[in-house]
Amino acid sequence: MKEKEPKIVCFSCRFSWGYLVSEEEIAARLENWIPIICTGKIDPVHILTAFRQGADGVLILGCPEGDCHYQDGNIEARKRITLLYNVLKSYGIERERLKLHLGADPEGKTMPQLIKEMTDTVRKLGPRSGDTTTQKKSATRTK
Amino acid sequence: MTDKKKVAILWLGSCGGCDETIVDINELILGVVNSVDLVLWPIALDFKYHHIEKMADGEIALGIINGHVRNSDHAEMAKLMRQKSQVILAFGACACFGGTPGLANLRSKEDIFRWVYQEAPTVINPKGVCPQTTTRVDGKELTLPEMFESVHSLDHVIDVDYYLPGCPPPPYLVLKAITAFLENTLPAKGSSLASHKALCDTCPRNASKPNKVAITEIKRIHEVEADPTKCFLSQGIICMGPATRSGCGESCININIPCRGCFGHIELVADSGAKFLSGLASMIDAEDEAGLEKISDQVRDTMGYLYRFSLPISIMNQKRLQSDEVKSDD
Repeated sequence: MKEKEPKIVCFSCRFSWGYLVSEEEIAARLENWIPIICTGKIDPVHILTAFRQGADGVLILGCPEGDCHYQDGNIEARKRITLLYNVLKSYGIERERLKLHLGADPEGKTMPQLIKEMTDTVRKLGPRSGDTTTQKKSATRTK
Repeated sequence: MTDKKKVAILWLGSCGGCDETIVDINELILGVVNSVDLVLWPIALDFKYHHIEKMADGEIALGIINGHVRNSDHAEMAKLMRQKSQVILAFGACACFGGTPGLANLRSKEDIFRWVYQEAPTVINPKGVCPQTTTRVDGKELTLPEMFESVHSLDHVIDVDYYLPGCPPPPYLVLKAITAFLENTLPAKGSSLASHKALCDTCPRNASKPNKVAITEIKRIHEVEADPTKCFLSQGIICMGPATRSGCGESCININIPCRGCFGHIELVADSGAKFLSGLASMIDAEDEAGLEKISDQVRDTMGYLYRFSLPISIMNQKRLQSDEVKSDD
């Protein structure tokens, strides 16, 4: 049986990532991509919801350190993510499945590559433990 | 026959503290008892479940249920109460959110059984005896309720009309809730019968909270002599006040203990643990990533802090609920 391709949800800040091209253009190249204004807007609720809905990994692309349009949104995001690792661990979700990458790419050309790298990392980890979404579906079907 | 409103009080997976708080209304309970007809209260009165089974649907005006749902017996009784009651009140943190026992959801049922009946150092069980749902003894069949995969809040099993949070709810709120019921002044269905503010809003130490809390080191309450007048968070002690509903009377704060979150989430918050984490992160004052990691490591028992009373209703744990399919035999 062919291995299931890991699902990566990507949040990216519009101030540094792909602002020179249209959203449609980026969306055509990326699956599960959510453009946001400032990574400081990302709440642990959003990340947990992504994992709950079956994401195998979450990649967050923020502005370079010192370059946040709102002063320190990217640093706030880093603080949240660092604390969130403790929570994910309790659910059996490895640290590598959540990554914050700070940088800039106005044309968004590197985004598919960054997602691919994340996909490769996550693939090496294997299926997510504690992910009952697939089991649940089969259980419901047999009912 | 009496024309008083019938009230039933039931405990499911409960420690008894919620029943105790009803008793703690003290002499005022006599007034309550005079104005209603108590038809069930297992901890205090000798009514039988089959009395309830014989009642007409909706005959009970108010069904008060405390405790979480962990096994088939809990689910069955909860459903019976729903059928016979016009109004169901989820009473206490366990019924509202799953409560402290909900932290067991971090382990599987198999893990729990293995530990309790085999691996715990205090267990001597050479025959590997483990409770079964049916056992034959002397030609007779004995049955036990089936333990579910996880702990559930009451509203995951039956429709709940009102919530009274707390571990346990303070007597003044109990009296207020029962009075509102008797006087027909209950708010909209689905409401929590407690304050709509966050604990920080009503905390006596609120004034001492600096505009920007900057935590450079996280300390546990037993490790320090906490200043009884200052905001706990400003002292680097984790206090769930920002993400917890008020209404408890600040009973913990008043004895110099930080809030643990037994009143649960504030209105419209999906996951109070995640929200608190977000707030805590913004208070952390670290110079670099290494400093941030260091402070993060100082949070001992993250899940115990964030989800002490609410793991079964948290975003990640909801998933497990459906696999149990408690509602399936409806």
